[in-house]
Amino acid sequence: MAYTPGNTGSKLDENFENDLLAIADTRLVLGNWYAECVMNGRSLPDFAGILGMCTSNYGHTRAIYQHLAAHGHDYAHLERGRGAEDIRSMNLLDEAPTGWEDFMVSTWLAELATWMLASGFLKHEDRAVAGMAKKIGEETYFHLKYAHGWFQVIGEGKKQTELFQKAFAERFPLALQWFGPASAKDLVHAAGIRDVPLKKLRDAFTKEAASAEKFVDAKLKQEKTVKFAKDWRSDARRVGAMPEGLFEVVRFKDAELAH
Amino acid sequence: MATKTATKTKTAAKKAKKPATVIKGKKKIDQKRERGGKDPKYYEVFARKNSDSDLSHVGSVEAPNDELAQVRAWYIYDQHNWREMCVVPLDSIITVTEEGKSAKIKMG
Repeated sequence: MAYTPGNTGSKLDENFENDLLAIADTRLVLGNWYAECVMNGRSLPDFAGILGMCTSNYGHTRAIYQHLAAHGHDYAHLERGRGAEDIRSMNLLDEAPTGWEDFMVSTWLAELATWMLASGFLKHEDRAVAGMAKKIGEETYFHLKYAHGWFQVIGEGKKQTELFQKAFAERFPLALQWFGPASAKDLVHAAGIRDVPLKKLRDAFTKEAASAEKFVDAKLKQEKTVKFAKDWRSDARRVGAMPEGLFEVVRFKDAELAH
Repeated sequence: MATKTATKTKTAAKKAKKPATVIKGKKKIDQKRERGGKDPKYYEVFARKNSDSDLSHVGSVEAPNDELAQVRAWYIYDQHNWREMCVVPLDSIITVTEEGKSAKIKMG
């Protein structure tokens, strides 16, 4: 089906664009995590699952880039013209996974956090935006379920459970950080672009993240607050620039292959 | 001079042989767990294309739990944009004509 943006050509609210780019760029890195780690899958069906999640994340990224392109941005620049400091991915995904348990925790938290933010646009006045949010939700449903299935398997092993707990304790604060300081102004909600306040989405994320305990059948350390560094970039929802090594992995290398 | 060159070549060869990453210890692989849990089960996958079509058997998956069975079925049997898909644990199927024997489901 052809892409039909809403009010094509009109300029979008800057804070709204920031939210969209934070989702799109995080999904770009997430897609690359799946692509890089697929051969660590435990069986042939795992390869199919991981590759499926990889391509659907790329799809979400490109759909958002296309929407931004329909509203005054240059698609080629968004996809291939930005440097490491311009890509607004979650700090959580900066460090490569240290093992299967860390991979499952990290991808699950990134999927969950980005879906939570996207869900705030399900009732957006532009049907194209609402449709993208719905599609992201429909596909993320399977991504989260995949993690839930693996959490149960991990929970069957003592050593694996400990590795899971360690990974969760390290990665969860970085996912929570992505939502920004609790005291920050919620400009997208205030402008009426997102009907759900960010606080409500953050709380829903925290509650959902805690649900991992029942799948893995173990206690998880969940930080309530996060300390924000001075170089926190509220527009990019991250601290500092993406590491160069990661940028080399995620950047599109061939314009022809990208379409 | 010739001795010096030979020593240099030997050192270079030694360096070249050294792997970039040294793996400490042998990784222990728990085959059952790594392949998907203690007791992988078989599930039969059924799907229909639209509300008019019959629910048909499309294949099988092996998975350690219902969640992974659902996801594996969804990504493996993605040849159509299914309107409905479900998985049934093979051991939940009660045979009628072959009573007492395990079910044999063949692809249609």
